[in-house]
Amino acid sequence: MTHARINSGWIASSLCALLFAGCIPAVPPDLISQIENIDQDLIALGAPQTAPEEYADFARQWAALKIRAQAADDLIRWPWESSDFEQQLRTLHTEGDKTVARLTDRQAEQRRTAEATLSRLEQRFQSLTSHVSSFGGHLVLGDKPAQTDLLLRQARTYFNDKHYSRSLHTAEQANRALHIQESALTNELKRYADHEQISRWQKIAAHTVEWSRTHRSTAILVSKADRKLTLYKNGRKMLSYPVRLGFNGIRNKQFQGDGATPEGRYRVTGMRGKGETQFYRALVLDYPNAEDRRRFHLAKRTGKIAPTTAIGGDIEIHGAENELMAQTLGCIMLDNPHMSELFSLVETGTPVTIVGATTEHNTIAQLLTGLRDHHEPPSL
Amino acid sequence: MGIRTTAAFIILVSLIATGCTKPPSEQLEAAEQAVKEAQQSGANLYAPEEYAKLEGSLAAMKKEAAEQDGKFGLFKDYGKAEQLAASTSTDAARVKTEAAQKKEETRTAALQAQQVAQEAVSSTLQLVAKAPVGKDRAAIEAIKNDAEALKSSLAQVQTALDKEDYPAAQAQAKAIDEKSRSVSSEIQNALAKVHRGKSSPSSKK
Repeated sequence: MTHARINSGWIASSLCALLFAGCIPAVPPDLISQIENIDQDLIALGAPQTAPEEYADFARQWAALKIRAQAADDLIRWPWESSDFEQQLRTLHTEGDKTVARLTDRQAEQRRTAEATLSRLEQRFQSLTSHVSSFGGHLVLGDKPAQTDLLLRQARTYFNDKHYSRSLHTAEQANRALHIQESALTNELKRYADHEQISRWQKIAAHTVEWSRTHRSTAILVSKADRKLTLYKNGRKMLSYPVRLGFNGIRNKQFQGDGATPEGRYRVTGMRGKGETQFYRALVLDYPNAEDRRRFHLAKRTGKIAPTTAIGGDIEIHGAENELMAQTLGCIMLDNPHMSELFSLVETGTPVTIVGATTEHNTIAQLLTGLRDHHEPPSL
Repeated sequence: MGIRTTAAFIILVSLIATGCTKPPSEQLEAAEQAVKEAQQSGANLYAPEEYAKLEGSLAAMKKEAAEQDGKFGLFKDYGKAEQLAASTSTDAARVKTEAAQKKEETRTAALQAQQVAQEAVSSTLQLVAKAPVGKDRAAIEAIKNDAEALKSSLAQVQTALDKEDYPAAQAQAKAIDEKSRSVSSEIQNALAKVHRGKSSPSSKK
C-alpha cells in the first residue's frame, strides 16, 4: 500500500516535471536579444537622424513590447499555444531587420557618393594647383587655393570619422571655393585665349622677326605662356631656351614690386659681364619704355594703383645667381650655360620683344579650355 | 424617488464613462521636460545614440497615454505610461549628465586642436618673416598668401567654438595645422634653396 503510494507520487512528480520541461518561456529570450541588437544597429547607422520616422515607429513599438516582456519574464506556455505577444515581437524583428538593411544600403550609398565627390574634387584641385604652378600663376589666385585646400582637408576628416553627410556638405563648400578659384583664374588669364590680343602679340612678334631679317641682325622674342626665349638672326630662328619669369610673371608689369614681367617691345641697353652682375651675365632692358609710362600714369590717374607707387625698373635677361631659384622679381632668367651662349650672340641695341603668347594654342589657353571642359557647377 | 434614481444613474454612468483613473499629466510633462533638457545640454550632438533612445521612449510614452485616453472609463490603465514616464525621466537625467561630460571633453579636445593650429600658424608666419627681402624674396613671395589665409582661417575655428560646434572647430583646426605644416615645409625648402646661393642686395624691379 505504502509502496503503491510512493509509486503514484513518483509518477505524479515525473509527469509534472515532464510537463514543465515541455513548457517554453512566454517571451523567447533569443528574440528579445535579437531585437535589442537591431535597435543597436539602427542607432549605429544613425537612424534617429537619417530615418527619424522609421526609427521613432520602431522605438515606440520596442519600448512598449519591452515593458510587456519584462512583465511576462517568468511566464511560460505550452509550445502549441499561440502567442500574440511573440507574434508582435517577430513582426517588429522582421520590420527592424528590413530597416537595418535599407539604412545600411543608404549609408553605403552616401559613403560612396561622399568618397566619389571628395576624390573628384581633390583631383580637380590637385590638377589645377599643378597647372597653375607650372606657369607660375599661384599668386594670381591670392589666398583662394589655401582656403579650398582647408575645406577639402576638413571634408576628408569628416569622411574618415564617418560623418558622410557633413563631409558632403563641406565638400560642396570646397566645390564652391574651387569654382570661385577657377573663375578668378579664367578672368585673369582670358587674354591668353583672346583672339584679338593674340593677334596683337603675333603682330609685334612678326615685326621683331622682320626687323631681324631686314637689318640682318639678331632679335629676341620671349613668350611668357610657353616660358620660352627665342633668338632670331637674319629673320631665322637660331636658338631657343626655357626661361623663368617673375613670381607673378604671368601678369603684365604695372608697378614696382608686383613681381610681374613686362610685355612689349624693348631693347638691350646694357650688357653686364662677369663680375658686373650678381646673376652671372645680364642684358639690361629699357623698361619702362614710353608705352609702359603711359599705361602706368593712366592706371594711377584712374586709381587702379596707389598714387605713391613707383613704376619700377632694372628689368633684365639674366643668368641664375642660384640654380635652384625658380622665380625672379620680374626679370627673365636663363640657366647659366644658355645665358653664356645668348650673351655672346647679342649686343647693345638688340630688340627684345616680350609677349604673352605667340599662338592661340598656348599652354595657358589649353588650361582654360580644360577648366571649361571639366567645369562642375556648385549645387544651389 | 424617480428623479433621485435617475440622477444617481446619470452620476454612476458619468463616473464609469470618465473613469476614476486620471492621466498622469505631471509625470508625462516631467518626462518631456527632462528629454528637452537633455537635448538642450547637447545630447543630440554629444550622445546621439542615447538621445535617440530617449526620443523613442518619449514617443512610446505618448502613444501609450494616448491609447489609454481613448479607452472607455474603467478600462483606462495608465500604469505602463507612468512606468515609461519614470524610466524616461531617469534616463534623460543620466543622458543629460553624460552629454554634458562628453561636450566638455569635445570642447577640451577642440581647444587643444585650436592651440596646436595657432602654434603651427605662428611658426609658419615666423618663417615668412625670416625670409630674405632682396632678390631671393621671389622664392617665398608666392606662398605668403597661403600663410595669410591660414592666419585668417583661425578666426573660423573661434567662430565654431563660440557656436559650441566643437566637432567643426576640431576639424577646422586639424586642417589648419596640417596645411600650416605643409606651408612651413615649402618655405623651408625655398629658404634652403636661396641660402645655398649668396645673399643679394635688394634691387628695383
